Amino acid sequence: MSEDIDVGLEQAVAEFYQSMGIHQGPGDIQYRLILRVLGKNEGKITEFSEIRKYTDQFADKGSIGSKMKTVFQLEGLVEKVKRGGYIVTDKGITASNFLKDSTAFYKKNKRMGEIIERMP
Amino acid sequence: MNAGLLLNATICFAITISSFAFAWVLARNEEEHSEKSKPALWSLVILWSLVGLTYLPTTIRMIAAYFGKENLDIMMYSLAVIPFSFVAVPLVFFILYVIAGSKKISAYISLLFVLFGASFLMFLFTKGIIGPIVSEYGSIFTINSDIAINIYMMGLFVIPTAMIIGFLLLIFLQKMPKHLRYRTALPLVAISFVFDFMLTDMITMVDVMQLVARLFVLIGTVLAFLAYFPPMTLQEKLGIQKYQYELYEKDIDIDEEEEDVDV
Repeated sequence: MSEDIDVGLEQAVAEFYQSMGIHQGPGDIQYRLILRVLGKNEGKITEFSEIRKYTDQFADKGSIGSKMKTVFQLEGLVEKVKRGGYIVTDKGITASNFLKDSTAFYKKNKRMGEIIERMP
Repeated sequence: MNAGLLLNATICFAITISSFAFAWVLARNEEEHSEKSKPALWSLVILWSLVGLTYLPTTIRMIAAYFGKENLDIMMYSLAVIPFSFVAVPLVFFILYVIAGSKKISAYISLLFVLFGASFLMFLFTKGIIGPIVSEYGSIFTINSDIAINIYMMGLFVIPTAMIIGFLLLIFLQKMPKHLRYRTALPLVAISFVFDFMLTDMITMVDVMQLVARLFVLIGTVLAFLAYFPPMTLQEKLGIQKYQYELYEKDIDIDEEEEDVDV
């Protein structure tokens, strides 16, 4: 099922986690966007160019490529199936689901924060 | 002439004074609240004022009953029932505004409860009331309209109570700091106490139950006070007191500090 990636939301969530001292994983905007694109293409090949469509405003080609290699490939979240083509593994999907949970936690926390703010 | 009636009047007077005092303290501290919380604050001020306005004529009513002034009793009942009918309006606004954050939507839905209150009053005044039946502990009126009672039960009681319970559940299911949980849950419990026992007070046919219901309304008002101005002993017991501290300005060299520590 295709799902839209809200870059603004992902950035807000990443900043929320960074504000708690979590700078990697859920607090890393590059990691979030890459994993969101991979999760969206479950069972399909994800082109590197598609990932860059979302990450270009945050990082250059080199650092995304490096992240794909040193984090995603090394930890077995993706497998490289062709030049510039990756397929997400089951472990990658688990990571993607964790990312969704982190977004849900952010939303829940934000909503509750707003409720408390309105409480006299 | 019964001492029970005087006790009843005293409780009503205590509710009146404490509700008005609470509303006044909330209004006076307006500056301390953020712009976002002000609509909810004012709805609370109105709510507690309505509680006070309900129990002020009720106090006079109990004194009138003590002295056997039936006409004054009836007049004061008719007066008390007006603010009572609209207690649900600020309550609904408060809950909806705090949860949803929209002043407009909260106001429109509250308006619906103004209609419920007005129709309750209309049926109550057109069909009349039976009483007063003055007994040892209270003076009781019976509402002579089933429709009025049904409107009250369904529109003015069940829905706002369900809203309070829902909001409380939302708070209890959420992990949050202890002092925030206390600060959000206790006012709701207090409001729920006051609101539910006001209804019991209004529809009961038993004098002792009227007295007990009013006692619980008073407890609810005290709880509301405790929610906003918790005494230090309670704060310590619940572990919600704010630790008084000053920021340590000197830059710390962690390595140096570790060396100083005698392990």
